[in-house]
Amino acid sequence: MVDWADNPMNICMITWEYPPRIVGGIARHCEGLAKALVKIGHPVHVITLDFPGALQYEEVEGVKIHRTSVELGHPSFIAWVFIFNHFMEKKVAMLSKDVKFDIVHIHDWLVAFSGIATKHYLKIPLVLTLHSTEFGRAFSLNNPDSYLIDGIEWWATYESKRVIVTSNSMKHEVEEHFHLPQSKIDVIPNAIDASKYNVKVDREAVKRRYGIAPDDRVVLFVGRLVPQKGVEHLIKATSKIVSNHPNTRIVIVGDGWLKEHLWNLAVSSEYKHKILFLGFLSDQELIELTLSSDVLVVPSIYEPFGIVALEGMAAGVPVVASNVGGLAEIIEHDRTGVLVYAGDPNSIAWGVNRVLSDLNYARWLVENAKRKIREIYSWDAVAKRTVEVYEKSCVGV
Amino acid sequence: MRRGVVMHRGRPMPISDEVYFLCMLHNIGMTTPEKSLTIEEISRWTAVEPSKAEENLNKLLKAKYVDVRIISGIKKYFITSDGIRKVLSMYS
Repeated sequence: MVDWADNPMNICMITWEYPPRIVGGIARHCEGLAKALVKIGHPVHVITLDFPGALQYEEVEGVKIHRTSVELGHPSFIAWVFIFNHFMEKKVAMLSKDVKFDIVHIHDWLVAFSGIATKHYLKIPLVLTLHSTEFGRAFSLNNPDSYLIDGIEWWATYESKRVIVTSNSMKHEVEEHFHLPQSKIDVIPNAIDASKYNVKVDREAVKRRYGIAPDDRVVLFVGRLVPQKGVEHLIKATSKIVSNHPNTRIVIVGDGWLKEHLWNLAVSSEYKHKILFLGFLSDQELIELTLSSDVLVVPSIYEPFGIVALEGMAAGVPVVASNVGGLAEIIEHDRTGVLVYAGDPNSIAWGVNRVLSDLNYARWLVENAKRKIREIYSWDAVAKRTVEVYEKSCVGV
Repeated sequence: MRRGVVMHRGRPMPISDEVYFLCMLHNIGMTTPEKSLTIEEISRWTAVEPSKAEENLNKLLKAKYVDVRIISGIKKYFITSDGIRKVLSMYS
């Protein structure tokens, strides 16, 4: 048996999103994990998809990033997924002529095909991180594509030597839905690089940039505009927030297929002038805006982890979040944040008003939250635990 | 998404025609200026009538999810970075 403590592992990480191709939390998760694995001595090759302006190959903080161009297309999303997996698989095959990979680590169903193929032709263990499930995202399976994706997710868990999830709630979901043995699942939380918030910002200048008055309070939402994120409930909570705190702006950062619906909802309310949609922001812009905000709201209905809550906690912004999934594990109510009922605008407004009304309470939450981030949610800790999972996967191979 | 309609907690959620069309443009690979296509080419690839394709493209141009370049007087369309992220948000 190989003693991995003295032997660096060559890790092949496959993910459909990696910065600057950032959609949800997966890109940031893979980036943080890959850099931390390199830091503790394990070479990481990331196989991902291309993005306008990004190099086909680059090395960032020791992480070797290989971006795959997809040379064929089809209007069907599922067909496109099959196609890009083929090109990723080809990229891994070419690379494996020069690199002897010890493990292949895939993130979500989208790259299951290339990961499973790699496992079989290189005869190395496959590790899957399941960030969410189709069943959870859609709240049910309701069309042929959903059933197929659900089947692929199950198949990926079956083919994997170990399955990593980011919260206990996700562990229960995976155990129950896929009938996966408990012993095959490892819970490793997400993490963040808290140092990126150690910058000084001119809050008034940042607010002015977005047309927000310097003395306005900012209630921030950051995320994809899709039903599971619960943004419509925050919009519906606006009247109750603004009636208590008239100079408050609800600032929504992100985009998604539900944007038009949410926009119409905001426009049809009498507080439309209080709601601001900013679309996607760059990393730097987002850091500055977060540091200039008074509350971060995470109103999700389904959230396996909720990395955005960690971002708020690290930035020193009080977090008001739904009492669901991973959020309920990250946030300790009334100590590191405020938990509210999911899908309930009255409850969201109550949580936000509570923070906005009491500056000392808000400061206390922030102090506790920052301490918790330092102790638990660092990439160094997550990388070490991930290596332990890799080592368990290699036993008997 | 995937069929133009998403069910959420048992009720259909609205997805506009142009966003569904944007997904098809993404999946056929129009993600860089070099991979831009004319309306006629888009129509063939997506099986959407040219007039309907043009109507959707105009909406997507206005929303900055699609950009256009003109080569020898012919308009060729491709998806912007924001357009790519918009599409990916549906599946992530």
